[in-house]
Amino acid sequence: MSSQIAILIAVLLFPGGLFALALGLGLKGADRRIAARLQGRVGPPLVQPFLDLVKLAFKRTMVPTTAHDLVFLGAPLIGVVSMLVAAALVPISGVYSPAPALGNLLVLIYLLLVPAVVLMLAGSSSSSPYGAIGFSREMALMMAYEAPLVLIVAAVAVRTGMAQGHWVTFSLTEIVEYQRTHGLFLLDPVMWPAVAAFGFFYPANLGIVPFDIPEAETEVLEGPLLEYSGPALGLFKIMSALKAVVVIGLDIALFMPLPLDGVPAFLGWVVEMVVLMVAGVTVLRISMGRMRIDQAFVFFLRWPLLLAAASLAVVVV
Amino acid sequence: MSSAVTTPGKSVGKSNYTIPVGPLHVALEEPMYFRIDVSGETVNAVEINAGHVHRGIEYLATKRSLNQNIVLTERICSLCSNSHPEAFAMAAETIAGLTVPERGQYLRVIAGEVKRLASNLFNVAILTHLVGYESMFMHIMQVRETAQDIKEGVFGNRMDLGAMCIGGVRYDLDEETIGILTAGLDKIEPEVAEIVKTFKTNGSILRRTKEIGVLAKEDAIACGVVGPVARGSGVDYDVRREAPYHVYDRMPLEVRTFDDGDVWSRAMIRLHEAQNAIAIIRSCLKELPGGAVNLGTKLDIPPGHAVAKAEAPRGELIYYLKTNDTEQPERLKWRVPTFMNWDALGLMLRNAKVADIAIIVNSIDPCISCTER
Repeated sequence: MSSQIAILIAVLLFPGGLFALALGLGLKGADRRIAARLQGRVGPPLVQPFLDLVKLAFKRTMVPTTAHDLVFLGAPLIGVVSMLVAAALVPISGVYSPAPALGNLLVLIYLLLVPAVVLMLAGSSSSSPYGAIGFSREMALMMAYEAPLVLIVAAVAVRTGMAQGHWVTFSLTEIVEYQRTHGLFLLDPVMWPAVAAFGFFYPANLGIVPFDIPEAETEVLEGPLLEYSGPALGLFKIMSALKAVVVIGLDIALFMPLPLDGVPAFLGWVVEMVVLMVAGVTVLRISMGRMRIDQAFVFFLRWPLLLAAASLAVVVV
Repeated sequence: MSSAVTTPGKSVGKSNYTIPVGPLHVALEEPMYFRIDVSGETVNAVEINAGHVHRGIEYLATKRSLNQNIVLTERICSLCSNSHPEAFAMAAETIAGLTVPERGQYLRVIAGEVKRLASNLFNVAILTHLVGYESMFMHIMQVRETAQDIKEGVFGNRMDLGAMCIGGVRYDLDEETIGILTAGLDKIEPEVAEIVKTFKTNGSILRRTKEIGVLAKEDAIACGVVGPVARGSGVDYDVRREAPYHVYDRMPLEVRTFDDGDVWSRAMIRLHEAQNAIAIIRSCLKELPGGAVNLGTKLDIPPGHAVAKAEAPRGELIYYLKTNDTEQPERLKWRVPTFMNWDALGLMLRNAKVADIAIIVNSIDPCISCTER
């Protein structure tokens, strides 16, 4: 019974749920603010993403008459729930490790796919042609970045597993524990290609320039999100904020869990979050333009796939 | 002019769906409506519809006196707002056989080139916005802000300069305003050079503009495109050189052409012309003669008709003016560069990707408010 309550707390309060949402909105706010400063603008206040949510909560959700209601309104809910569970699956070194009953790395990888699938559902159910284009772009981009992700995760899982005498481990807790005692994978030259490949994966997964192709505002008017308004759009924003925490949290767990305990470990983790967000998202998105979907597809099949495969090959051999 | 321009593209075949671009679309600054048949991400056919912002200005012009029409024509278009009254005044002067004082002619060139500098930077900024390069957009708009400051400091306005009048100009340069102008040019010149360098080297920009929206030279001639669109496709035509007006024959005018005919070439032509505008203004300031700037206010324009043309930032602008015994013109008609250029969009958009539609449309620098007036 108590373990079920613990899981519920993990999903709804900490480290998933409210905490992850607050952190995700904070990261988004910081991203917008820092991007603005780097571009010589004043920028919105840090709490702007939160204020946007409040505004959306008080608006109506309009459902297009040609849309499929159930899918149209169900899609954002599925997205948020999947990300709530995913956030509870990400360990924080020295602070939190997910209960084995909740799932392991494989479950997390599947959950990470859900937002993309949800956006595809949203795009196709809205019956808008822009949604349809967004759907096909989301699909192509997902296929492009999913292969490198699987190889990256495999490299880490095999590396940890082999060091512990069995072939492979999919327990994030074990991966974190191993790094706490044997040194971070970030400092291991064998894993550097995988770290770099993950650096390409997460802007694509988060939909950031140069990979914000499915939602490109000036091309397809936010694509799948075009027909959304009010609380339903707010749910997508919540999903996106949670996803930022999950993806960056996964990056930290896979390569750079700090060997600390208690409050310093928690603060260190938050600092890592912010640094990765600013370095991997903010700086990237303000220093580049958008790629076309064909360019992004070729790019992913070339560089990140090659890098991740290199790490995996070295680890296995 | 007809209210709808239809451009048949490739036969539709088994097109998957139709997407509407416009009349209200974030990537279009003005209302224009494209019906685009696409298969997946590729454009099959484009239909261009116009007529959303008809304002009845041609009719209005015949209800205003010639001098009032200077004010009216300035408000046809915001970015070419100097070229419209300029061409109108030139037509009126041709009818009356007036010669603008030399100082007035130099000042007309300065006003026109300041507008060209700001207008071209604006279009290039929008291009970077459309490829999703927000920082570059912010930067170019910041550079353009210097041109806006020049306009505000010298002419008193940031968009409509109010510089032209029949028989000359309504402003004069003194020590102070020449100082503002020179300081502004000194500031903006290296910045524009830096933007040119970025456009030549930056991967994000090259990736999305090279070999996109190609208009071959033969097609460019067949469509009769004008301005940077023509010069980007290798058509060596500039009104300022072919039919020099004011004192352009004495200016260090450089007419550049590119043979590629893609979006990048058109952007580069605009940037080069922005740089050239700076050189022309400097040369005007150096040679600026003394004397009157206009012919006074009581001008007699006899009955008659005339055509005048000028090179607006977007290309050749033609004015036809017919006067009679009254103070109002009997007929005033103009042909704007966008009217010639938007027909070529059908060719540029053929087999384009959906992602490039907005970039290609922006590359002709469409001005709908002056085309549909």
